[in-house]
Amino acid sequence: MIRYLFLVILCLTLGIHTSANATDIEFWTTQTQTDRMKTIQLLLDTFQVLNEGITVSLVPVEENDMPSQMAAASAAGNLPGLIEGSSELMLAFGEEGIMDIGSMTRMVNEIGKDRFFQGALKMVTVKDGKQYCGLPYHGWVQGIWYREDWFAKKGLEPPNTWDNILKAAKAFHQPEKNQYGILLGTKPEAYSEQCFTHFALSNGAAEFDADGNLIFNNPKMLETLRFYTELAKYNPPGPQNWRARDYYLQGKLAMFFYSTYIMDDLALAEVAAGSLTDENFPQLGQGVFDPRLVDNTRVAPVITKTRPAGYGAVVALALVDQKSADKKNAAQKLIKFLYQPDTYITFLHMAPGGMNPMVRGIAGKAGYLNDPKGLFNRYGRDKIEEIISGLDAIGSFTIVEGKSFPAAGKIYAKQIIPRMIYATTIEGTTPERAITWAEKQMQAVINE
Amino acid sequence: MDLSIAQRESRLGWRFIAPSVGVIGLLIIYPILYNIYLSFFDVKLTGDKLFIGLANYQRLLSDAAFYGAAITTVLYLVGTVVGSTIIGLMVALLMNMTFPFRNLVRTLILLPYFAPVISVVFGWQFIFDPVNGIYNHLVVDVLKISSSRHSLIGNPNSALGVVILFDIWKHFPLSYMLIISKLQSINKDQYEAAAMDGCGPIGRFVHVTLPELYFVLGTLMLLRMIWNLNKFEDVFLLAPNVETLPIFTYYAAFTGIIDQGFAASISVVQFGVLALLIYFYVKKVLKW
Repeated sequence: MIRYLFLVILCLTLGIHTSANATDIEFWTTQTQTDRMKTIQLLLDTFQVLNEGITVSLVPVEENDMPSQMAAASAAGNLPGLIEGSSELMLAFGEEGIMDIGSMTRMVNEIGKDRFFQGALKMVTVKDGKQYCGLPYHGWVQGIWYREDWFAKKGLEPPNTWDNILKAAKAFHQPEKNQYGILLGTKPEAYSEQCFTHFALSNGAAEFDADGNLIFNNPKMLETLRFYTELAKYNPPGPQNWRARDYYLQGKLAMFFYSTYIMDDLALAEVAAGSLTDENFPQLGQGVFDPRLVDNTRVAPVITKTRPAGYGAVVALALVDQKSADKKNAAQKLIKFLYQPDTYITFLHMAPGGMNPMVRGIAGKAGYLNDPKGLFNRYGRDKIEEIISGLDAIGSFTIVEGKSFPAAGKIYAKQIIPRMIYATTIEGTTPERAITWAEKQMQAVINE
Repeated sequence: MDLSIAQRESRLGWRFIAPSVGVIGLLIIYPILYNIYLSFFDVKLTGDKLFIGLANYQRLLSDAAFYGAAITTVLYLVGTVVGSTIIGLMVALLMNMTFPFRNLVRTLILLPYFAPVISVVFGWQFIFDPVNGIYNHLVVDVLKISSSRHSLIGNPNSALGVVILFDIWKHFPLSYMLIISKLQSINKDQYEAAAMDGCGPIGRFVHVTLPELYFVLGTLMLLRMIWNLNKFEDVFLLAPNVETLPIFTYYAAFTGIIDQGFAASISVVQFGVLALLIYFYVKKVLKW
């Protein structure tokens, strides 16, 4: 028994001894699913072999729990070296002054400021547009996915401007044939706001001005709401959310808003629909299922009215302010490792289509296009690069001229814009009344 | 001090029920009182409370949306209570007759009542899906009654109808069960006597069956009224655009600008209306 105890104590002392020479850091990730954790752990194991003396422990943290966990860790003096989470989260942490903004700015410049997609970099820009509170790592882009074959048949332009979108929506809207022009969010849910924001940004309509004043009820926003309400007439009947993308997979819809996460579904639908041709099932009739859906689908990630605009979400890596220089160094080494092409591609392949690279030159690489699901090969290099190019133009209501306004996040959480959209598109409220109501609600949220 | 036996018994009785009184007080009376208390305050999210007197009630009673919700609630109550009672009564009368496989049919009828709300709601949403649903397929493609497809659940004007229909379908088995159990206990002699007095089938129903069922029907409608005035999940899951009072309260309390004091005042009003309703109902209809 005593011998046992002795051995245990010996092991513990040795353990403490070796770790005294090593640097321990924590890497907090919002990728909490088991299979993703396994992949990241594999990457970290490789990193540790390559960098003797650095130990990285992987800690999964739910996105929503991140702020409270950070607060707790900060109080305990046990902050992680590196965190991975949404750009909004990083902006909020940046405001609280717990991030190592100086090092991150240096690293962005080291990796190459111009290599990052500009829209993505803007999402983490702070302090007059010169510093960064995170390094964009992956994210999704929203776009209008459309039937290229239908557009070609009618000789229509791609849906990348307001006029083109409206024209196409009218042309394909044939409710008597159970076919609809476009899918926009009209239920009072986040999806509606995501579609709407894309249009608002393309019209230069903002929630806040550069001084942080709420200016939601402005002529450009009103114009956007009017257009949105008009366009929603070419929606399938009744209030809709993203679930109605199934109508597209069934060939009943010409265009729909969606993130790059749809790429998977489209390709899978192709497989599913592949056997449901009229050769196998003559009773289906011609054109019920499109066996070549992926080939016939294109995406317009950028919409232009007065300016080109994209919409999406950025997940960033960020350095937390540490006292220990060793820990700082270790975290920076880890970042460099994560941006190496092979590591980067392995990481992104955890969710092909959903996780897109934030730096140029990755999407075109043969290794990237050769994902384990064989997804990208179905789309081909040109389409993939076209899709990801949307990252250059993405924006949000939170960032105005390099300044971030966290109040925009609060407004988003209260779903004021979705309820405004529901009011005009489904309840028939006039855009003027709805936008006035919305601004009043927003003001109340800010005053709270 | 000497207590009479009756006094001692009553003391003992109080001791026996004291634990349940305590538990009920803690779980029911306290929240109700606290809710009434909250309704006089402007409650901040931080937990700070500012006494504002009757301001919440003034705001509520001058809010057009509140009256809209109240009207919706009345329509919902009348539609569901009357509907499910009549259907339940009709089915019970039918099931009281003898026919082959009666036991099997009796069991099957109970299914909607036992099925979990969430799965049934998804089923209904699929039936009424504007593009792929069987309802639109029947009405537009097969029967050609309408030339355009509609989202009955999505359209705020028709959603209430669907929600009422849903509730009737889901809850008529309960009415049926209570009614049939009473039906089976009605003495056959009464029907024979009525028949001798010259009553036909309708006369027998009016003069024998209905009076016998009076209190069952009365109790049933009272219970359904109480339940449905507070019904949240069925309505919210199927059609969140139908604003009955509980849903109106939910939106005020938990979405947009969270206003707990205001939401508390809605609950108090709703509680008051319900209490009054029950009082008159019990006095006049059930004659207790």
